[in-house]
Amino acid sequence: MKLIIGGYAQGKFKYAQKKFQVENKNVYDGKLPDGTGNINGTLIINNLNTYIRQSMIDGTFSEKLIFDFIDKYPDCVIITDEVGNGIVPIDEFERGFRETIGRIQIELAKMAEEVERVICGIGQKIK
Amino acid sequence: MMIFVIGGSASGKSEYAEDYLMALSNEKKKYYIATMQVYDEEGQKKVERHKMIRKDKDFITIEQPINIQNAIDKIDNFDCTALLECISNLTANEMFSDINHKSAEIVADKIVDGIKRLDNKVSQLVIVSNNVFEDGIVYDNATTEYIKAMGKINEKLAECADEVIEVVAGISIIIK
Repeated sequence: MKLIIGGYAQGKFKYAQKKFQVENKNVYDGKLPDGTGNINGTLIINNLNTYIRQSMIDGTFSEKLIFDFIDKYPDCVIITDEVGNGIVPIDEFERGFRETIGRIQIELAKMAEEVERVICGIGQKIK
Repeated sequence: MMIFVIGGSASGKSEYAEDYLMALSNEKKKYYIATMQVYDEEGQKKVERHKMIRKDKDFITIEQPINIQNAIDKIDNFDCTALLECISNLTANEMFSDINHKSAEIVADKIVDGIKRLDNKVSQLVIVSNNVFEDGIVYDNATTEYIKAMGKINEKLAECADEVIEVVAGISIIIK
């Protein structure tokens, strides 16, 4: 698995597309594959942050789902926003979201064979 | 020797800083200077989580939510190390503890001065600070002043520090 992180609107997806040449049908934006159908080739999960936020809102959030997915598709590319670099939000949900995504990103970075941080469309390999 | 560690919320900065200090300390006495004031259950949980992480690391805890220079008197004179966790709480406590909020300038000068003195007292000081600067939100005056104070403190401490390390998703990046 390869992990790409960075701030909002930094060109992370474009960077990943150019680097990994993933077919459009294998790009999942803000969601994980539902498990039906066959997937050939590399997968991109773009905006994992959106997926986590939505599943927290829906009450369906489970870390295990994410880690199981990576077990199943160990060659995937995961793209996610860095959201922890700000003032602690007053809103309880927002605080919880930041904590949750931060902790998951640490786990993902541990599992990843490569971690890149994208700023201004440029990737820096940090692992 | 001063080591400055910065990262966002839930970036893994504390664990990194603790492990770093452990590696530096060998058999030396290790102090954990805690700055967080607990107001509610959520704060309590945060403190508990941090205690869990460091439970086998053999730290002596000093609670110093304000007036950081006062921690000096609670530390042995003999060769020892300390971890200061963290600048964001210390700054908020200094700034907002009084009904009349202090200015960024006054708060920053006081904290930086206190930390420099603390650094002179111990053999190695690891400081944890937070990146609170990149959410793009325009806040009220008090919060803006707080962000400015944090910026000044980080800048001054990073200048004094022998090493500056950013932690991103648990990965350390050497900045200085």
